Amino acid sequence: MTEKPRIGVYICHCGLNIAATVDAKAVAEFAKTLPDVVVSKDYKYTCSDPGQEMIKKDVKEQKLNRVIVAACSPRMHEPTYRKLMEQAGLNPYLFEMVNIREQSSWVHMKEPAKATQKAKELVSMAVARSRLLEPLEVKEVPALKSVLVIGGGIAGIQSALDLAEQDYKVCLVERQPTIGGHMAQLDKTFPTMDCSICIFAPKMVDVAKNPNVTLLTNSEVQEVSGVAGNFHVKVLKKARFVNEKKCVGCGVCASKCPVKTPNEFDMNLGMRKAVYIPFPQGVPAIYTIDKEHCLYFTKGVCKLCEKFCEAKAIDYEQKDQIVELDVGAVIVATGFEPFDPSTLKEFQYGKYKNVVTSLDFERLISAFGPQEGKLLRPSDGKEPHRIAFIQCVGSRDERTGNIYCSNICCMSAIKQAVLIKEKHPEYEVYIFYNDIRAFGKGFEEFYQRARDLWVTFVKGIPAELTEDPETKNLTVRVVDLVLGKMVEVDLDMVILSIGMIPPKGIADLTRILRIPRGADGFLLETHPKLRPVDTPTMGVFLAGACQGPKDIPASVAQAKAAASGVASLLSKGKIRTESSIAVVNEDFCSGCRVCVSLCKYDAIKMEEKKGKQVASVSEITCMGCGVCASACPTKSISLRHFTDQQILAQIRALAPEASNCTGKTEPIKIQEEA
Amino acid sequence: MQSVENSFRIDPSFKYEVSAQSGGETLRQCFQCGKCEATCPIERFKNQYRPAQVIRAVMLGLREFALDSPTIWLCATCYSCSERCPQGVHFTDIMRVLRNMAVEQGKINPYYKKVAEAIVQYGKTFDSPDFINEMRGDLGLPPVTSLDRQEIAKIIDEVKTLKSKENQSKKVI
Repeated sequence: MTEKPRIGVYICHCGLNIAATVDAKAVAEFAKTLPDVVVSKDYKYTCSDPGQEMIKKDVKEQKLNRVIVAACSPRMHEPTYRKLMEQAGLNPYLFEMVNIREQSSWVHMKEPAKATQKAKELVSMAVARSRLLEPLEVKEVPALKSVLVIGGGIAGIQSALDLAEQDYKVCLVERQPTIGGHMAQLDKTFPTMDCSICIFAPKMVDVAKNPNVTLLTNSEVQEVSGVAGNFHVKVLKKARFVNEKKCVGCGVCASKCPVKTPNEFDMNLGMRKAVYIPFPQGVPAIYTIDKEHCLYFTKGVCKLCEKFCEAKAIDYEQKDQIVELDVGAVIVATGFEPFDPSTLKEFQYGKYKNVVTSLDFERLISAFGPQEGKLLRPSDGKEPHRIAFIQCVGSRDERTGNIYCSNICCMSAIKQAVLIKEKHPEYEVYIFYNDIRAFGKGFEEFYQRARDLWVTFVKGIPAELTEDPETKNLTVRVVDLVLGKMVEVDLDMVILSIGMIPPKGIADLTRILRIPRGADGFLLETHPKLRPVDTPTMGVFLAGACQGPKDIPASVAQAKAAASGVASLLSKGKIRTESSIAVVNEDFCSGCRVCVSLCKYDAIKMEEKKGKQVASVSEITCMGCGVCASACPTKSISLRHFTDQQILAQIRALAPEASNCTGKTEPIKIQEEA
Repeated sequence: MQSVENSFRIDPSFKYEVSAQSGGETLRQCFQCGKCEATCPIERFKNQYRPAQVIRAVMLGLREFALDSPTIWLCATCYSCSERCPQGVHFTDIMRVLRNMAVEQGKINPYYKKVAEAIVQYGKTFDSPDFINEMRGDLGLPPVTSLDRQEIAKIIDEVKTLKSKENQSKKVI
């Protein structure tokens, strides 16, 4: 770069976020004294339209060739300003962002003088670096118009349908033998009281029949490599011991199977056979043999299913398979798991038969559940005339580690209470709550309806349940907090409104997809407000309860948002790659392979070049993390946009006494304390 | 109904009884915001006056707690609470229902009883003292006509009969 740097520095007030603590004017004045700074200004909202126009005008009039904005985090607005650079006719990599909000004003609110000093130092570092920045070529690579959707619940199905409609090829992977997830287990949905399976089954059928969708059930994603636009995926398709092409779903196998085992889909409250479909509307309508319970697999006898299957679909020799896919993007829709209340001893779940969870209850009252829609209690099959719901079980509880609100339990309990009262107005129904959160559209009206039906809401959570050993009736002691009085309520049945927790396997998923989890254990979005379905791994999106507890409307909305995110990324058929990647100086490379072993993105391969084995970095796969560059013993790898010279210039600007740093290749010597 | 260990047993039928009476229908929508208490002028003078608690006791089924509560007798029927309730609960009317129920159980506030006895005796809440007619004379007004007590006794009997037709209530005064 021969052109002399002409730098414009802009100190943003961010309203009062920065300016209330940092003296933005003083920082701007200070920046004027730094080498090659031609323009230095402070401005109330630099990211605003007039702010951006001001920078564009300065670039033109002052012939600036470098721009520095000292404002918020680059994660927030670096893309904004890089776009602005292009509009102003400059290479986006000649822009430098300084974070004086998160790294100065917000963290040093009580020390404005020092915060201002820190802001000045950060700006002087940026100027030192900016002078050495080089324009980088912005490259585009072809992007595949195909998508992997992980999880076949309502969120995954909705995303798959939306993308398939836009002619993307979708592979929907589901761990269970059939798609449907938790929504398929529900009886009715709040607040409209639609029958869940009635509104959902057509979607399940649509997604299975869509020519753009490939369904992989009984399958798990094992590996995802590559980057946005070009991911390579390995899926483990577990053997179901039934030939999917031959099985017609007639069910003769299950009717002949002599083994009965609790059905997980019915929360183990009903039974299924060892060859089974979890529920009658299951998609695909293909049977699966449960190897753990099948007599042939456990004892080597029986084979009745094979004998009676006219389609000859039973295949005991079927093996697990690895299916490989190439996709442009990934949507994670792995949902949630219900909280297991047996860890909270006070509620006696698993011990007292008439204490059930809210999800158990859905199956108990479902028309295709074990009791075919009749509300009977588990201990003796009698009608429970006095029923209570206990809210916030497993949520908002430090002991379980789940301090979050699970969002759905208030409305779910109200829905179940309304269902009971509508069918049996003479039953007494109590909801013991802590707060009623009826935030969604139509929710408050639904809460009113429950009160209108005489559902008794009691502010106070019972801390103790006792059971009559003979009748199996229950008694709760609870303080009504409004009255400040302890009351005892006799009940026939208690329903624990359990919360949502992250599903098993979420840790594997974060490793496979290189995406983070939040403090609540759920997957973390890039920005809670502005990028709610994006992840830090470009091309990987989130939909539904995997990102945090949510109800069906929110899951569907997010699924549509994720589909839209995928479409915006892939619709052009090409994708911009990050130019800030590692490059190898092949003359210096000794072929030691340290970099190969360290690269967690698998982006470095050894290649024969110039008569020797040298490291070669894939431009598409490299994420620009810089690990290889810092580890290379011969300093033959450098990271574009973060060269040693650029970083050392920053350090020198911060600490001029580090004069023994030449800015070339020598390591920094740390002075020993006197 | 009270059980051991200072806890109360509840009587779920109580709320239905209250709401079945004229004036009690709006009970069920109460969600315990406390505005009725915050707005009540009586509450400013009597700090054990707790309208929202009474509603709560009815909803939960603490019959004795509600019917023994002094609150039901202190209501001045100003209707401020009904005016400001966000859920349309007519507290004032519910208080009347509760007073009637209390009376049916022979629970009546002694001051109310005195007033009722005065009405039976004088046809109004108190007998007019002589000086009132003197003052009226000074102002050129005709004296207050004394009421026909037999007529009043007849009216009151009719009211009692009507009441008993409706509710089979006992004679309490």
